Amino acid sequence: MKVLFFTGKGGVGKSTLAAAAAWQLSRQYRVLAVSLDPAHNLGDVFGVTVGNGGTRVSPRLHLREVDLRKLARDYLERETKVLAESYHYLRVLNLDNYFSILKYSPGIEEYALLTSIERTLREEDGYDYLVFDTPPTGLTLRFLALPQVTMTWIERLTAIRRQILDKRHTIQKIRGGAKEWEANREIRLEYDESGDDILKRLRLLADNYKVLIRRLQGEECGVVTVFNPDLLSLRESERLITGLRELKLPLVLLIANKVTAENRALADRIAGELQRLASGAAVASVALNPAFTLGGDTPLYEIPEDLTVHFGGGGEDHV
Amino acid sequence: MGTAQREGLVALTCLEAQELENIFALLLLGSFVGLPAPPGFLAVELLPYMEREIQVLHRRAEDAGDMLAEIAGTLGID
Repeated sequence: MKVLFFTGKGGVGKSTLAAAAAWQLSRQYRVLAVSLDPAHNLGDVFGVTVGNGGTRVSPRLHLREVDLRKLARDYLERETKVLAESYHYLRVLNLDNYFSILKYSPGIEEYALLTSIERTLREEDGYDYLVFDTPPTGLTLRFLALPQVTMTWIERLTAIRRQILDKRHTIQKIRGGAKEWEANREIRLEYDESGDDILKRLRLLADNYKVLIRRLQGEECGVVTVFNPDLLSLRESERLITGLRELKLPLVLLIANKVTAENRALADRIAGELQRLASGAAVASVALNPAFTLGGDTPLYEIPEDLTVHFGGGGEDHV
Repeated sequence: MGTAQREGLVALTCLEAQELENIFALLLLGSFVGLPAPPGFLAVELLPYMEREIQVLHRRAEDAGDMLAEIAGTLGID
């Protein structure tokens, strides 16, 4: 299964091109297009309303829109439940519901976003291609960086945790076997690595993230950057490309969107500059049709080229 | 060996272990006192299991004024 992320500055046409690529791919492969952008418009491109469970546009093309707010809420509710169970005695005093304040923790949306990508990668194995339409650059880079930042923290915390357990073990050995009052589970300290809840949770998280990082940096994954022939778009794309390189995420294609006869020269120059920065990633160009009228027959964009050739799977028999 | 001697032997290790627990809690929940903290969700993820660590953190904060005396006591310095 191949995974594509469509990135770029807000308004450059990520969703449109993600939709176009998903559509072109779906002529040959089973494709799932997922919109992670809070301003969902993947459905608008196809002229459908995407429901909760996703929508089937054609037999081989599925659409899904991720509700970040709901994801964040679900995640925190789950955590709150574990917390309330750990502190179950509070229920006697009817104080357990105070943990519900956690629902408003900031910074959780990126995590929810990442969790959603992780789950999609893990669970959706019935597709050949996953196409993600991402939110604007800032948030995208932050959540793509999240697994690696988190891994560093998890490694450090695990090291400290193991040291704590090691010390407890030493203490335990010198003091001798559990005394009678220690037999009570509430007081006895865990010193065995396989029995410590915190270490178990840390290990579980580390495993999940390792798998995710491996997949994101692997052969099967690619990032597509969409840009317009203008200066702001160039600068933001440069930041994006540098950011992606730091994260070791593979950039597979640059797309110059909204190219007209007037700005073609500028578009080519920007594309050249970005291509140099991205050490030779392929470039495609999409023309904006000046003859477009709302409700008319002429399409807004002309996508002459088959984008799928850049995604590896196309091969010689693509349409 | 008597209980008292054994306790004497482990006292320093006990202190070390507690300090480590203190550091662990501080790293994870440091955002509450203005330290740069790990991604928020990591703290949320581990919070349910942190009862003891938070207790240690709390106690350490209370005893902070007299840490030198405590260490001197543990090391047997008069």
